[in-house]
Amino acid sequence: MSRDKHQRRLLPPYLATGTSGAALPSTLDTLTALRASGIPLASYHTSVHRRVVELVTGGSLTAVEIAGYLALPVSVGLVLAEQLVSDGLLNASVPVPDALAPSRAGRPSRQLMEEVLSGLQSLRVA
Amino acid sequence: MDSNPSVSPSPRPVYLPEGDHQRVKILVAGPLGVGKTTAIKTLSQIPTLHTDEVMTDAAAGTDDLSLIGLRDKKTTTVAIDFGRLTLPGDRVVLYLYGTPGQRRFLPLWEGIAFGALGALVLVDTRRLDESFEVMDLIEERGLPYAVAVNTFPDSPDYDLEIVRSKLDLAPDTPLITCDARELNSSLNALIELTAHSISSAGVGAS
Repeated sequence: MSRDKHQRRLLPPYLATGTSGAALPSTLDTLTALRASGIPLASYHTSVHRRVVELVTGGSLTAVEIAGYLALPVSVGLVLAEQLVSDGLLNASVPVPDALAPSRAGRPSRQLMEEVLSGLQSLRVA
Repeated sequence: MDSNPSVSPSPRPVYLPEGDHQRVKILVAGPLGVGKTTAIKTLSQIPTLHTDEVMTDAAAGTDDLSLIGLRDKKTTTVAIDFGRLTLPGDRVVLYLYGTPGQRRFLPLWEGIAFGALGALVLVDTRRLDESFEVMDLIEERGLPYAVAVNTFPDSPDYDLEIVRSKLDLAPDTPLITCDARELNSSLNALIELTAHSISSAGVGAS
């Protein structure tokens, strides 16, 4: 009850109406790639869960793309993906493994950035 | 923007490359109307996607989630546009996140900035001061950035050195002009940014 004003949490409305009673801190990144594992939905999954699983049945998309295609806020896409990964319905792969190393402070490696640089240069139309 | 738009059929998804690849995020930041969406549309190889992140001020001093979502709660909406660019060879996929980057969206901004290669800040010479806030946010996060002056037909003539001094840029921060409607021009802006990110990593990183 002593929480200061500036510490108020900002929560997406979805969490008020969602299935779980508490906010799940997402361990997924917006660029985590997700693909359906083939395990069928359970009776407790919602129609939104079903739409997510159907969307990534034919291939992989990132969490942020899933949110975009389904017209959901990114935070909602992350929560849904988190639930479905923990239920085994989606497989997840991390975006840039080396950027997650603590020494990198979340930055891509120099090698990866050099690959980006030469890739961008080769895309230029003469 | 309707609060509850009728569900339109989703466009057919463009899936990621099947093989191993890494996904890298680049922010395209700047105030409303500066050309972020145009630049992302120019660069993206997929139809650009849009999300509205809705944030609700949760009731202070309570953990009772049943209180959240009441009709009179204050909500704010922040629009994020994004596009995708697969580099030749399918080993790297770039994601371009367009974000207004206002301080009031700080909780969202933290997540967006994490892991990014850097930020391309678009500015309009007619209203340079509107870019200060997002530049401050980026600098506070130690994210390398480049500034691109998006050229508009009715922009006044400007001298890049004057723009540099008005924006108070560090000497090594790239400042370029860019036509967000042109692919090569937009690619050049990303190239400047990436080169700058590489040299910043060389200085600071172990």
